[in-house]
Amino acid sequence: MIPELFITAILVLLGGALLSFALSSRDERTVRTVALGSAIIASVFLAALSLFTLLTGQNFVFTVYQPFPYLAISFFIDRLAAFFLLLIAIIGGCVAVYTVEYFEHLGGGARRNHLCAFGNLFILAMVLVVSSATTISFLLFWELMAASSFFLVMYEYTREETRKAGVFYFIMTQLSTLFVMLGIFALYVQTGSFAIAPLTAAGSPLITAAFLALFVGFAIKAGIIPFHKWLPYAHPASPSPISALLSGVMLKIAVYGLIRFLLDVFQPDIWWGVLILAAGTTSAVLGIIYALKEHDVKAMLAYSSIENVGIVFVGIGLSIILSAANLPLLATISLLGALFHALNHALFKALLFLTSGSVVHATHTRDIEHMGGLAHRMPWTSGLFFVGAVSISALPPFNGFASELMIFSAFFSSVAVVDPLLKVLLFISLALFALTSALSMACFVKAFGSIFLALPRSSESEKAHEVSEMMLIGPGILAAACILLGLFSYKIFFLVGYPAVIPDMLLIGILLLVMAALTYAFLYFFASREVRVSETWGCGIHSQQPATEYTGHGFSEPIDIIFSAIYRTRTKNERTFFDRANCIFAEGTGEIRLMKVFEEYLYLPLARFAVWAAESISRFQNGCLDTYLLYVFVAVVAVIIFLGWYA
Amino acid sequence: MSLDFVVYMMVNTLLVIAAAPFFVSFIKKVKAWTQGRRGPSVFQTYANLAKLLKKEVIYSPHSSRIMRVTPYVNIAAALVASLFVPLAFVPEPVGGIGNIILFLYLLALGKFFMALSGLDAGSSFGGMGSSREMSISAVIEPTTIIVFAALAFVFKTLNIFTIFSVTAGSSTPVTPTLILLGISLFIILIVETSRIPVDNPETHLELTMIHEGMILEQSGRNLALMELSSGIKLTLLIALLINLVLPFGLGTTLTVAGIAIAAVLFLLKGVLLGGIIGLFESSMSKMRFFRLPSLFAMAFFFSTLTIIIEVFT
Amino acid sequence: MTDMASIEGIIKILFVVVIIAAAYIISTRNILSLVSVYSLQSLTLAAIALALWIADGKIVLLEIAIVTIASKVLIIPYFIATIQERIRIKRDIEFHYLNPTTSLLVSMVMMLVIYFALSRILPTAPGTPSLLFFGAVIGISLMLMGMMVTFSRKRAITKVMGYLSMENGVLFFGMFVTELPLIIEFLIIIDLIILVLLTTILAVGIDSTLEEYHNRLHRFHLWEDKEDAS
Repeated sequence: MIPELFITAILVLLGGALLSFALSSRDERTVRTVALGSAIIASVFLAALSLFTLLTGQNFVFTVYQPFPYLAISFFIDRLAAFFLLLIAIIGGCVAVYTVEYFEHLGGGARRNHLCAFGNLFILAMVLVVSSATTISFLLFWELMAASSFFLVMYEYTREETRKAGVFYFIMTQLSTLFVMLGIFALYVQTGSFAIAPLTAAGSPLITAAFLALFVGFAIKAGIIPFHKWLPYAHPASPSPISALLSGVMLKIAVYGLIRFLLDVFQPDIWWGVLILAAGTTSAVLGIIYALKEHDVKAMLAYSSIENVGIVFVGIGLSIILSAANLPLLATISLLGALFHALNHALFKALLFLTSGSVVHATHTRDIEHMGGLAHRMPWTSGLFFVGAVSISALPPFNGFASELMIFSAFFSSVAVVDPLLKVLLFISLALFALTSALSMACFVKAFGSIFLALPRSSESEKAHEVSEMMLIGPGILAAACILLGLFSYKIFFLVGYPAVIPDMLLIGILLLVMAALTYAFLYFFASREVRVSETWGCGIHSQQPATEYTGHGFSEPIDIIFSAIYRTRTKNERTFFDRANCIFAEGTGEIRLMKVFEEYLYLPLARFAVWAAESISRFQNGCLDTYLLYVFVAVVAVIIFLGWYA
Repeated sequence: MSLDFVVYMMVNTLLVIAAAPFFVSFIKKVKAWTQGRRGPSVFQTYANLAKLLKKEVIYSPHSSRIMRVTPYVNIAAALVASLFVPLAFVPEPVGGIGNIILFLYLLALGKFFMALSGLDAGSSFGGMGSSREMSISAVIEPTTIIVFAALAFVFKTLNIFTIFSVTAGSSTPVTPTLILLGISLFIILIVETSRIPVDNPETHLELTMIHEGMILEQSGRNLALMELSSGIKLTLLIALLINLVLPFGLGTTLTVAGIAIAAVLFLLKGVLLGGIIGLFESSMSKMRFFRLPSLFAMAFFFSTLTIIIEVFT
Repeated sequence: MTDMASIEGIIKILFVVVIIAAAYIISTRNILSLVSVYSLQSLTLAAIALALWIADGKIVLLEIAIVTIASKVLIIPYFIATIQERIRIKRDIEFHYLNPTTSLLVSMVMMLVIYFALSRILPTAPGTPSLLFFGAVIGISLMLMGMMVTFSRKRAITKVMGYLSMENGVLFFGMFVTELPLIIEFLIIIDLIILVLLTTILAVGIDSTLEEYHNRLHRFHLWEDKEDAS
């Protein structure tokens, strides 16, 4: 039954995509609604089948098409795959619900049909990657995912910044595919098959190379620092639901790849864990520090995605270290924490991207300094964003906290490892991890405060109004999931067979409610009930002005100064004076510019090197027939020599 | 959930609520004495809270629902957190109650809402307060987590109840390094309850205002709730410190006399610690805001050192 | 007499006090408190020596404690205090290469490096108590932290304090690892006293930077009262 359901879901998705490709000339709402509706239906199917697999723990293997004896398109769904299928299904479905309305407000006429089609294809590709049974189909669908997402990012191709972001994204995503391909071929050379199966031999350099290649490939896709730069470009450039899919789901597919290969193929060494932990910690800390500086709401969310994927990597790395140090229970907690955080991040990041899409739609700006006061004008959207902000700040009893709590408790107990060097590493990592979660709280206080609270800071945000129902239902489901997954986390882990990995959050939730209710009752009976709405003291100003509000920049300024060593701002002062002793100031300019450290010191040199290498190679291509004949001659001679010596 | 635990919850909550205003005003009293003043009575905070409860609440027209729910969330978070720290009697833990990490994040929940309410009315003081508060709490967080991780390591558990049931057996600190952890906890207490040299809880000056800036817009019964919850936070951290370093008298069985004695002893020890806090505050001067990170670096250095010595020897 | 565990615990606490004192010397901007922190550090050292004496019963440790108290807690701080009274500099806010926060982080990293380096060099036989090993680690880090003070601070007087704290590190290391003969310790202390005396003379007499500073003040007509403005 499960295979049939799976095939149906795939066909529905494909059908939706083909339909809107076929009718791409007709700019009608129905076409798009049908295409998106197919995505929603497919999501429901996928969710049902993955829930079934998760709860029963059965595995399903089935082959759909076998063109060659050794090459079959076959699928494999176990709990891990089902977990990620569930993630894709929930986010995909909710984004589709949101998009039904959102696309109608988007410019671009009939091109929107393409957007729907590529969206369906993208979801399809991710589903297929996750359920691939062989490495070769994994690679194939990985590339399909990359290509379809490129078209999604390039939707507003008329804009300069979108084109730049698109090209950047394309290069990075192809690099990722390249590395994954290298890793998979290295594995093929080692084992002689494309099956995802445990390696028998361990410790050969080829296996290490395969791991490193795969790690880099997945890290690029997951946006791990220093391979992260495509995220803050691609997200602001693409439409919000697309950002939600990219950030919420696609990054998790990379996480899936990493976990799948680590669990089912490799026997990880302890230093692999250290590598993943270090990469994760770096991404988490730097990601959130950059997010705090960002004032484009979507770029901020993009950086925060980098942080959260970093947290997931921390969990994975910790789990490898702990299982290598012979602490299997803690390793399980940590890995479950990482997986749970992947799901949670998908939920609240999609929620935040969708609601910020509504905000951008209502205010026509992405700069949070031009928003403000939206809590009155968009009460529902603000409520939904608030749920996302609380979750992502890891506050109890919501889901973001539940997963971070698991990673934290693994960390706290991990001091039991013996090796002192490792212990130190874990402590440093723990301290930085704590810093991350505190900074993300600061970041989202700033985001929510600047976007929704106080007075509107621009006329657009003054005139903003609430969005329509469909754009509230999609995020609404996600918000409900955020709350429920947090409250029932204990029950959920109990159901899938992992009792006592997390304290019971439901009890905490109930206690919070009871305490608040008791307080309310007490005040109701024993305190004054009078309420007056009136101007409060405004530091000497008669009535509050938007200009006197604390801005987002102002809010994050102390953190900027404290972490100035990391931001690497470049201050430039040019002054002229009237006198020689430089006492009487005439005029001057000053600017403080944030240096793009990774771009200036890593990406650009690499790009220059690539251009240089390409130029040197292009000398071989001089357009003269004789030269090419010479190449053929040399090649033939080389082949003969090779055959003579080695074969 | 056993009957014992229900009794514990009620006793502990009432004790915390009753003790919190006393500690707040006692520290003020100590500070007044060191400055050569007589100072307000040690029961002044009770009177203040009672007065505030009778006043009306004023909301700014720009403020949203955040402003209205913050006092309730804050007090609920503080009260639930208070269940995590047994003051006089340690029962068997139930569910996740007592988890160290959960405790820290419940306090953070209150802080999150308080920071948002500071931004809510759009006044610059509120914004300044929440900006500073978030920065400070971000920078102190690594130290806090490291200290609590060290506690978890020393006692091999994540649960405060289990920790206390170990310490309750002995009259002196279980290991001498616990005194060092106590010093780290003291620094955390100073930072978290916004005291000198980090913040000055007594003034409304622009330069010193962090915590007070955030609650500047609160009034009437809401202000009472905010003040009470910050008092509860102070009491909880005091209790944590006391029951680790001076645990004698802490009961593990439920008897009326035992609880009464333990409660009185707790108050006495709290008075001692409150006196130390007051003296510490009086001997320091408020630090410039951007000098604080180096203070925190020192605290971090100190607690890491403690851990290194505890873990490696 | 007293049980070993509690002595070990007390020594651990004293370790932390010593290191914290060194960290304070590295990072403070307030010169006036430097001397008292230094004598506190030396006092702690003496206390550790006493604790070890109680545990081990070696008489040389008691002697070390007495000599330390006499020289480093009383005599040297007295001289330095005299210098400070004369030169009237209250703060040292200039740092070379490292600012306080970074130097704290650097010294933390350094301690770890020393820990791992020593665990390779010193054979930690199963019988060797790890406390002694850790004492060696702290001794060397104390030395290096003192050295950091000498190059990261600008004023001569802070440099001297760094040097003194460095010598404390040597003593510390000696106490835990090599059993320094008392006579050498004695000679070092005499050396130190001479050094401090010389500094006193130099600082009060011909401190060129101080002179230059005064001259500059005079040139800008800022030299009003005798109180140093810095």
